[in-house]
Amino acid sequence: MLVERLRGDETGEAMRALYRIYGGELYGFTLNALGDRGAAEELVQEVFLRAWRHAGRYDPARAAVRTWLYQIARNAIIDSRRRASVRPGLTHHAYAGETEGGATLEQAMLGWQVAAALERLTPEHRQMIRMAQFRGLTMREIAETTGLPLGTVKSRTWYALRSLRLVLEEMGVTPS
Amino acid sequence: MSCAHVREQLGAYALDALEPAEREAVAAHLATCPACAAEHARLAPLPALLAHAEGLEIPAAPPAVEERLLDRIARERGAGRRMRRPRRRRLLPAWAGARALAAGALAGAVLGAGVTALVLRDDAPAGSPASYSLVLNGDGGASARARLSPGRGGTELHLWVKGLPPGGDVVYEVRCERPGWSASAGTFRADARGRAYVVLTTAARLGEYERVRVVRRPDAADVLSGELN
Repeated sequence: MLVERLRGDETGEAMRALYRIYGGELYGFTLNALGDRGAAEELVQEVFLRAWRHAGRYDPARAAVRTWLYQIARNAIIDSRRRASVRPGLTHHAYAGETEGGATLEQAMLGWQVAAALERLTPEHRQMIRMAQFRGLTMREIAETTGLPLGTVKSRTWYALRSLRLVLEEMGVTPS
Repeated sequence: MSCAHVREQLGAYALDALEPAEREAVAAHLATCPACAAEHARLAPLPALLAHAEGLEIPAAPPAVEERLLDRIARERGAGRRMRRPRRRRLLPAWAGARALAAGALAGAVLGAGVTALVLRDDAPAGSPASYSLVLNGDGGASARARLSPGRGGTELHLWVKGLPPGGDVVYEVRCERPGWSASAGTFRADARGRAYVVLTTAARLGEYERVRVVRRPDAADVLSGELN
């Protein structure tokens, strides 16, 4: 357990491993919420620092590590926005829990975790989901575009969604 | 339509990517087959979740944040130890007696008695804060010279390194240490000629550590080391 190893982590190995697993998506999440690279970097650093300081309070029975880190990030983003709102000289592009696209922080957190889940699928599975869901292509159109037999496209899409469901369950994101 | 045939289409059905006639055939089967309907129910919530992820590409974790984070943690850990542990004897004498110490260290080196570093007097004008020069040696031909001077709340450390493997992504960390205690002074990378010159600061104060060590990240392998006494 990486989080349990954090406090006694003399060499920084556990923290480095934790950062390399979750740093990218948390950076994406905070960059999206704050709209500024420097501010997002500062905030991600703060998130992992808080995780290190409060590692003793982490309860694996209550939340997955990823969920816990996202909660810390969410709170840090809210703190950061609150600080910015009392300093009128600084403009923040998003307020009151809304990101630029109008999604709430909770929706954005969910989105980044789903994006992380997609990254864990095989490229073939990810391709099927992207083409059908994000590009709105039908199975027939995907078969034409990729040159794959229609039956393969259909079964691959089925396996892709099943894998996604399993990955999300492992990550503690339960579709309802 | 057989269950096996329907199952293979359930992904496409959930994503609404079937042709109208296929979609109707699957819907008719699901209305009469609880097993296939249960499988569909597991997949049906996924498109709504996926919609939240549209357009999101996970970026690389910024390496600079990783380095700053580890430095900060090393400093906080060091500061915590200082508060918990009583201050040990001051390891370095006041500057008045340093010439004698330097002479002793030099003698040790000349005699080859395992001395890896020298403490030499810096050419600072009288009355200015003491600074120390230190030689760090290591296996593999790398060597370094360090100048340590008291800085705000700690030590300022100038480090000249040569003989490292050239360039690359290797990150080196400078640590100020005594047995059972270690504080990071920061990190650096070597240039294309295997050299580096960096100015670092650490919360560790002169007298609190006995050794300056350079380790390679992430495996913490020893690269260079120099003792202060």
